[in-house]
Amino acid sequence: MRWFRFAALILFVTVLQASALANLNVGPDLLLILVAFFCFYCNTTEAITTSFVIGFAADLISSPIPMGVHTISFGVFGTLLAYVHRVINIRNMPFQAVAIFTTALLVGALSQMLALFKGQVVAANIWTVLLGVSIYSGIVGPFLFLPSAWWMRIKANRFARQ
Amino acid sequence: MLAGSILIIAPTEWTSSFQLAFLRIFNWPLGIGENISLSVRARGRVDDTNAVPGEKYRALLNYCTSLEAQLRDERERLNKLTGLREKFPFGNARLVEALVYPGSIDRAHGEISVDKGKESQLAKGQFVLADNSIIGTVSGVSTGGARVNLFTSPASNIPVEIAGTKRFMRGEGNNVAKILMMKDKPKIGAEVMAAKAPGLLNAPIIVGRVARCERNAESAVLWDVIVEPVCDIERLNDVVVIVMNPEKQPN
Repeated sequence: MRWFRFAALILFVTVLQASALANLNVGPDLLLILVAFFCFYCNTTEAITTSFVIGFAADLISSPIPMGVHTISFGVFGTLLAYVHRVINIRNMPFQAVAIFTTALLVGALSQMLALFKGQVVAANIWTVLLGVSIYSGIVGPFLFLPSAWWMRIKANRFARQ
Repeated sequence: MLAGSILIIAPTEWTSSFQLAFLRIFNWPLGIGENISLSVRARGRVDDTNAVPGEKYRALLNYCTSLEAQLRDERERLNKLTGLREKFPFGNARLVEALVYPGSIDRAHGEISVDKGKESQLAKGQFVLADNSIIGTVSGVSTGGARVNLFTSPASNIPVEIAGTKRFMRGEGNNVAKILMMKDKPKIGAEVMAAKAPGLLNAPIIVGRVARCERNAESAVLWDVIVEPVCDIERLNDVVVIVMNPEKQPN
């Protein structure tokens, strides 16, 4: 794992998500797509570590949702996805899309529940937005794996179960 | 997981400082990204509350185009007047811009009509400028209009300076004027300047150029000088009238 490249990629994607994509009512969650990417293409330890780090990055830009919410939800479901990937080799793009869609839904649901637990008021259409974000992420995600793999110098066709 | 739990349990006032720090550090790239997305969204976006029917839109567009043309026109007018003030020492004189009525240019009699009159403090005898040269004087004023005698009009007789001497120049019609009985023959192309006239003109301004010289009919030792205007009267659209001592307009 090239950690310096990883840091640069996360920083870039975080800024992009907080600026260009923040004005969209419903759009893809790039950070969540990256969680799925590292779960698919890295070993389990790296996948779990990156999930928590990416969750922390998501927390930095999720104001007014309190911090910690995304760290936990990204971390929990990133870990789960990494373990699932040890059993089921998710190779095809449609399967990857479904995996991202499901992860996005679960991460979003857990985040909202944790936010509620912290006393955060949840928007009335949050579930519609969540569904939209999940669909967008599922569609866009697999196409972003290739540039991410190129940047991280990971062979995209490497699917060894670890 | 532990870090996440600590963050979620910690008071929001403490944890929000991380979010604020991130926003402060990455303020510049965040601003760029936001501007890009806003400009992309603004293109082609229709705000229902501000939408108007096509017919009204066309009418508004026409109105807007006319306003823009008027604005351009006013800017040109302003530039022209301020340019004149910079070129000539008019002092407190008021420069009144007037449009020449189309079809009012009488080349044979040397007359034109303009759209400004008494309300703009125009009065008989005031000098009229066009293309940075004197073209004539106001001969008659009414409300909403005035007649201008070009210096080529047979009714015009204005003081001029030519080759350092003061003479009177009389209009001959057909776009020429004549300075009679000059002792010395001026050069062809020499400038003829309108002489200063107290209360009407406080600086010499070019009127025309010497076109040719003829022997005087009565005295063969004297010259009659034929002068042609330096301004193309045929293509005249607007003129500027010099009002030397304007009365203060009531507010």
